[in-house]
Amino acid sequence: MKRVLQILLWSAVSLVAAAALATIAFHRGEPINATWFVLAAGCSYLVAYRLYSSFIAAKLLALDNSRATPSERREDGRDFVPTNKWVLFGHHFAAIAGPGPLVGPTLAAQFGYLPGTLWLIAGAAFAGCVQDFLILFCSIRRDGKTLGEMARQEVSKLGGVMAQVAVLAIMIILLGVVALVIVNALKSSPWATFTLAMTIPIALLLGVYLRFLRPGRVMEASAIGVALVMFAVVAGRWVAESPVLAGKFTFGGVTLAFALIAYGFAASALPVWLLLAPRDYLSAFIKAGAIFSLAAGILLVRPQVLMPPLTRFVDGTGPVFAGKIFPFCFITIACGAISGFHSLISSGTTPRMIQREGHARFIGYGAMLMESFVGVMAMVAACAMTPGVYFAINSPSSIVGSTPEAAAQTISSWGYPVSTETMTHLAHAVGEQTLLNRAGGAPSLAVGMAQIFSNTIGGDRLLSIWYHFAIMFEALFILTVLDAGTRVGRFMVQELLGRVSKPLGRMNWYPAILFSSALIVGAWGYFLYQGVVDPLGGINSLWPLFGIANQLLAAVALVVATTILLKMGRVKWIWVTLLPTAWLVTITMTASWQKIFSPNPRIGFLSYANAMTAQIAAGKIPAAKVAEMQRVIFNQRLDAAVTAVLGGMILLLLIEAVIQWHAILSRGREPILHETPYVATQWAEGD
Amino acid sequence: MRRIAKRTRRTFTRFWQGLREWCGDAAYEKYLQRARREGSGPPLTATEFYLEQMNRKYSRPNRCC
Repeated sequence: MKRVLQILLWSAVSLVAAAALATIAFHRGEPINATWFVLAAGCSYLVAYRLYSSFIAAKLLALDNSRATPSERREDGRDFVPTNKWVLFGHHFAAIAGPGPLVGPTLAAQFGYLPGTLWLIAGAAFAGCVQDFLILFCSIRRDGKTLGEMARQEVSKLGGVMAQVAVLAIMIILLGVVALVIVNALKSSPWATFTLAMTIPIALLLGVYLRFLRPGRVMEASAIGVALVMFAVVAGRWVAESPVLAGKFTFGGVTLAFALIAYGFAASALPVWLLLAPRDYLSAFIKAGAIFSLAAGILLVRPQVLMPPLTRFVDGTGPVFAGKIFPFCFITIACGAISGFHSLISSGTTPRMIQREGHARFIGYGAMLMESFVGVMAMVAACAMTPGVYFAINSPSSIVGSTPEAAAQTISSWGYPVSTETMTHLAHAVGEQTLLNRAGGAPSLAVGMAQIFSNTIGGDRLLSIWYHFAIMFEALFILTVLDAGTRVGRFMVQELLGRVSKPLGRMNWYPAILFSSALIVGAWGYFLYQGVVDPLGGINSLWPLFGIANQLLAAVALVVATTILLKMGRVKWIWVTLLPTAWLVTITMTASWQKIFSPNPRIGFLSYANAMTAQIAAGKIPAAKVAEMQRVIFNQRLDAAVTAVLGGMILLLLIEAVIQWHAILSRGREPILHETPYVATQWAEGD
Repeated sequence: MRRIAKRTRRTFTRFWQGLREWCGDAAYEKYLQRARREGSGPPLTATEFYLEQMNRKYSRPNRCC
């Protein structure tokens, strides 16, 4: 009887999911309600978790709860600490949830709500969650080895080196791109700049408090910090309204870029307890609160989704980024659907804390589903705006025109009516000087979120507070990635340099710390600067580069997982990893090819560089601008080279892996699996 | 009525304990419990433990895109 009820229940959930997806896909005409998105995503995730993840756990991985995990065998109270599965889920989710699922879907909304939403749901269920789950499992069976170490052991030495270099390269691109998102949100915005600037002394204060006064009392320190940050958000309005102070906090893109570079350098070089850790604690609580509020807001308000399911920009002429849905929609939404970076988290601390292998399904697969849900909500928030407003915020001025009137006219001519008055009024309502030319997803998402929040509490009077709260929350998110990523990048660089010159590898030696911090910050700072001065707006070229790099890393992770599973003899179900791997390789290689060789200068790096070279040669550029233009030309060629090198490395790894797979499958060689030996758990069953 | 109150209190306590574990407040207490159980020499002080945790946590990728 119980079984019959279960079958009925899950059939009902599946039917609801199918009905909601069909409504989203086929509805035309009137704006659709956000509830359909929540239903479609929620029910699809439930079905995927209940059926697909348990199938993977049982058949492909054969998770063994009787096997002692590293947290039991190597328990030391510090690094290997067995942790309750709910708490660990919280840790893991906080670690994987970053600005990605917020920015990607917001940018992909230029195609309409449909392609992005479908990719978020299907991509997560069949690719992203699978990757996170599998890498977590592989790392559990190897005492918490990282992805690079597993690649070296199970694929080949060369594969391991490729993976390590790819991780470093991806990290650099990621940091440059997310920094650009902040710069675009903060430029010419005294309120937002003031609020974010205040988080630095607040973090320093908390750092001292936690180090000297109350070591380990994270909750009380965070409570103080959150209160102070909220005050800074409100105080920002006074700054914006005071002519003197507003002037002091209004900066252009280049100044902000250098400020961020200096910040990244400081956070990497200073002791971690002083700035980095307290900021991280601060953002963890605010992040949790903001995501929860967004979900609650959407459920309470149930906004109408005003963006059409498909816009005219499916033809590849989009202003936010150029390129057709295939492959660029799938590249633009990385985190939220599939993100290679997650495999670094899944092979980091989580495998050292997990109590039982069975928990890996909930934590690995489940946490990614939740992140995908955050992505769907971001899509809803972005698409709940009037399309004209969305395009006005996200289109670079070089495409729509540098005056508000020109922008309004261009966008209206595309079929998305918007007036200068609307944009001016909206900017004033959210407390900004202008909302135009703020590509990067953060400001438009903040407008969307503010509109939803203010419909819940406060109404239009609080719109500016909600907007700046949303900006602050996204910027905090991003700054956390920036400083933690710079520090980890510094470690990676020191590790690589240490093989060449031993003193440089010493993690506590200040000259080495400063030198490698400068290298890392210089690398991502260069991408940031490039994006800030790029006439096309930066996000246009750099976000696809980030997406390609991230998903190349995901392909690496899936290749490593496939190799390990084949060595374990799990040949029958290997399509579970091979299908997403094949898909990822297809989209990343197609996108890389187009970004390098496309004859359309808005897509192809090389053709853009050639077009500008031709313009200089034809004398169409004023002499004063030639030097600047030549830097842009150089940057485009550099981006093309970086894309080519990354793609080449991953292809090499793929070839190495395929050779291995052939050897395993043809039984020419006995596969050597580097798992830790089985040890039975001493803990009681059932928790 | 009393049973509901008891259940609510228990749920809240569990939630609070989970929150303390999630944000790291309970880490030192767990470490001390284990150190006393194993009895392997003097345990680290709260400050030493906190600094070591910080350094370890932020030496590997722990915040995603």
